[in-house]
Amino acid sequence: MRRYESVWVVNGDLPDEEVKSAIDKFSLIISSQGGTLVGLDEWGRRKLAYKIQGTTRGYYALADFAGTSETIKELERNYRIDDRIIRYLTTKKADRVNLEALQAEIEAKAKAAPPPPEPATAPEGEAAPPLAGFAPAEPAAPTEVTAPAEPAPPVEAPAPEEPAAEAKEE
Amino acid sequence: MPVMPRRKRKQFYVRRKVCRFCVDAKLPIDYKDVNTLRQFITERGKIIPRRISGNCARHQRRVTRAIKQARLLALIPYTPQVPVT
Repeated sequence: MRRYESVWVVNGDLPDEEVKSAIDKFSLIISSQGGTLVGLDEWGRRKLAYKIQGTTRGYYALADFAGTSETIKELERNYRIDDRIIRYLTTKKADRVNLEALQAEIEAKAKAAPPPPEPATAPEGEAAPPLAGFAPAEPAAPTEVTAPAEPAPPVEAPAPEEPAAEAKEE
Repeated sequence: MPVMPRRKRKQFYVRRKVCRFCVDAKLPIDYKDVNTLRQFITERGKIIPRRISGNCARHQRRVTRAIKQARLLALIPYTPQVPVT
């Protein structure tokens, strides 16, 4: 068993029930195909960086699970079949899984879950800022870009002049 | 001012950039972390080269990979929607 992480994006223009069923469907596929679901984190609806199939919104869900190559095969086959899924990405987090540690992790998560209705409070906070600041985040990038660029040019500038002068003399 | 050779040395002086991910080993490189990745793309959506970002080869590879994964998931754009003029 390996540890995987799979993100899938459901078309955000669909009604809530459709989205819910799409999320439940795929978390069920993981558990029914020999996988052990550790956590399901729904990022919610967010604006896509570009249009996909005519929609600008997507509902993101992330599943953290342990499984085999067969689990992945079946999961990705279903992603491709389902029209509600506009994007998906599965990444491997670890090559080996310690089942006991995994169980402990699931239990720890289950314990943390009941008090607040939403199980993932920390990851949600992480997901929320980019949602609100999706567009305003862009101006922040250029300032970072220009700063490291400055030290570079002065080095190159004086060099080309010398060979050019020599060539003229000849 | 009195010594000439000093000036020559000054021309080649470049502030050494250090890889941010090497400095802080805890800083994760992840396709989900859009805010960090945004620091490594231009306003045009291009990946900033190592020469400018100062990342080490190993971490630059990971950043590049994470950016490409994030693009696939439409978390960051391949190219901005309204061209900057």
